[in-house]
Amino acid sequence: MLAFIGRRLSLALLILFGSTYLTYQLAAYSGDPLAGVRESTDPKKDVIIAELTKTLQLDVPPPARYFLWLTKAFTGDFGNTVILRLPVVDQIAAAIPITLRLVLAASILSVVIGISFGVLSAIRQYSRLDNSLTLLSFFLFSLPIFWIAVMLKEFMAIRFNDFLVNPTIDIVANILISGVIAVIIAGFVSGTKKRVLLTWLVTFGLFVSVFFAASATAWFRYPTMGIFGIAILGIACALGFTHLFSGLGNRKALGAGLSSVVLGLIAYYPFQAIAGPGTNYELMLALAALMLSSSYFIGYFFTKIDKGPVIRVAMLTAFMVSLFTVTDKLMQTWDNYFKLSDGRPIQTQGSYNITIFSNDFWVNNLDLVTHLFLPTTALALGFAGYLRYSRASMLEVLNMDYIRTARAKGMPEREVVLRHAVRNAMLPLTTLLTFEVAGLIGGAIITEGIFGWRGMGSLSNEAIQSQDLNLLMATFAISAFLTIMATLVADLLYSVLDPRIRIRK
Amino acid sequence: MALLNRKKNSPQQIEANETGSSNLETAGLSQGQIIRKRFFQHKPAIAGLIFIILFTIFVYTASGIHLGTDANPITIKGWWQFAHTDVPPQGPCADGCPSEVHPMGQLPNGRDYFSLVLRGSEISLMIMIVIGGLSAFIGTIIGSVAGFFGGIIDSVMMRFTDFILTVPFILIGAVIGYNLGNFGVFPLAIFLGIFIWPGLARLVRGEFLSLREREFVDAARVAGASNRRIIFKHILPNSVGVIIVSTTLLLSSSILLESGLSYLGFGVQAPDVSLGALISQYQGEFIYAPWLFWWPGVIIIAIALSINFVGDGLRDAFDPRQRRRISRKERAVETGTRAQVNKS
Repeated sequence: MLAFIGRRLSLALLILFGSTYLTYQLAAYSGDPLAGVRESTDPKKDVIIAELTKTLQLDVPPPARYFLWLTKAFTGDFGNTVILRLPVVDQIAAAIPITLRLVLAASILSVVIGISFGVLSAIRQYSRLDNSLTLLSFFLFSLPIFWIAVMLKEFMAIRFNDFLVNPTIDIVANILISGVIAVIIAGFVSGTKKRVLLTWLVTFGLFVSVFFAASATAWFRYPTMGIFGIAILGIACALGFTHLFSGLGNRKALGAGLSSVVLGLIAYYPFQAIAGPGTNYELMLALAALMLSSSYFIGYFFTKIDKGPVIRVAMLTAFMVSLFTVTDKLMQTWDNYFKLSDGRPIQTQGSYNITIFSNDFWVNNLDLVTHLFLPTTALALGFAGYLRYSRASMLEVLNMDYIRTARAKGMPEREVVLRHAVRNAMLPLTTLLTFEVAGLIGGAIITEGIFGWRGMGSLSNEAIQSQDLNLLMATFAISAFLTIMATLVADLLYSVLDPRIRIRK
Repeated sequence: MALLNRKKNSPQQIEANETGSSNLETAGLSQGQIIRKRFFQHKPAIAGLIFIILFTIFVYTASGIHLGTDANPITIKGWWQFAHTDVPPQGPCADGCPSEVHPMGQLPNGRDYFSLVLRGSEISLMIMIVIGGLSAFIGTIIGSVAGFFGGIIDSVMMRFTDFILTVPFILIGAVIGYNLGNFGVFPLAIFLGIFIWPGLARLVRGEFLSLREREFVDAARVAGASNRRIIFKHILPNSVGVIIVSTTLLLSSSILLESGLSYLGFGVQAPDVSLGALISQYQGEFIYAPWLFWWPGVIIIAIALSINFVGDGLRDAFDPRQRRRISRKERAVETGTRAQVNKS
């Protein structure tokens, strides 16, 4: 094993050398870094060109210049950018957190949504749900991200901001929107026509009344959830997770979930007192850890046998309740933020609002959320890949003999799916996930460009546009390194997780 | 005769339904016939295939065929009156909105948008075919050699694949755009094709790794077949399903890849257009002249969607389930690279 890792690591270095060399040559021949200066009308043009040629060592031909770059890079000196003369390392250090912020949220969302719907789709193969999800994922596969981004900007930001001036939904629009939502939700239900119709009616009625209430109270302008909203959503989560992990018949799990909700509600008012405008991330993280660990103990002491599902229900419910509490806090800040942003809260450009100077922790975070909203939505549409893939993998596992054995010995279907099928179906997804993690730093060139985020993606785009070899090589070396490591880690992880696969010596 | 006169709910049929096998449906048919039959039963795939064919014919007959050199052009005129380089006079609609003369509107400088979209579709289709075909060819060769021979050849080839995987597409677009911009879009497609095959190669390799252990390969070897013969006559025909399916998927990702590159300004260069370049150019017009933005996007989606459906139909037709087991890990890698292409 160690020998294998050692060999692969040394090979990885070799590949890294080769690919940086190739990239350097490609980049060097892809344009003239002095084009901007040559076209200028500066009388001292010749002097500037001579000086730049000297500092950028353009008199050395690219095949040799690479080695000059390499020797410097080994000492950690990646040089300065061409135009602004800033250290490349600083630029990258500034860009990485921005990219992480953008891509991490979207990755987590797409993985969670994709895998859960993929599993669901596979369990109900060829049902109405499966067919609609297949159609949806093909549609998303065929969607150019920059095209959908323009639409998102128009309909979810600009039009929504306009709507907030007078946030009333007229009754026709209400019926139309609720009707469509109800059709989508009824599409998820399998069974007789009567059942589908009933679901449609109930959902339709629910949404019409919810939208009516939201419109009457101008909820979109003054959103609020309150302790009652959290209680209702929390109980729904507890029921949902119990149904998912152990079935509603398991009273212990339900009890643990509901206790977590109660815990969250007890913590609600103290939280409002602690989490003032001057709070910080450390405190928030500590509170979240406290909440999760106490829910773990709730689950642990609630039952003596089969603790796993009970703890899982308790912790997931606690997590959701904490999320709702934070959302509630952000909603309380909404009105303030609305005024600060001149009545245009959903942002289409940049990663933060430069006109807002606030020391309020919640205003700043709401600012972050409103900026993240559009690009994250656009990137999270990538869940289609995970959906297709986890569906295929799940279908394959469900046909295996050990699934038949598990069913034959009388195991409940929920246990068969969760314990035997899903876990094995997720094995091949490790490869996908390692690539996802490697892609976190690399960023998303197109998305960052459209939404004006200055992350790694726009940095490398800019570097190519302006022939900035130092910047380009630094961003590229990082992403190449991560890609190579991802293939190595994927191979290793896969052989660790799946004992059937052995690394060949 | 019992087979021919079977009723809908005959005992055999029920048994076939319960065991999930389709012996009755496929009895007496060759492998190719079974696949064709299954494919033609897949309605979305047939719809997609028909759309692609009709659309290709539509696009190529509309703008006509242009061959030969600039000095000595061979041109067959198409049925659409404007070429994408023409600047016709102002149409009936003052602000360039769609009218009977210009079904997709007119640009501010007077060019007919319909002919531009036709030209863009032509280019996008061409790029798609070149990238897909080339990468399927290279990927299949590399993957099959690596998978069949294994050992040192395998590791060398797979590390080479890793190496290709690290070269950013955008850079290739930039190099081609700068150095070969005058030669048009064909070199761009070729160069992209040279760099996009790693996913397919890994998939084919996995397929070969499992197939080479099978009895029929031993049988062929005992009968004295050469390596080349075993690869091309025995193993490759057995993995053709996987190759065809992932090639169709590659086709749809390459049309998106090209539009992404054009969007960033590294793909097809002016004065030529592609669908992605059109979207990128007119995204600012979304409010005042939305048709300029809608049409190219809708066409990209229609093409990619139809190809995905064809791919899905082929997958069902070749149905690798039960008959062959592809290493699940290999498929993950293939989907992984595909997801990456889609994502950025």
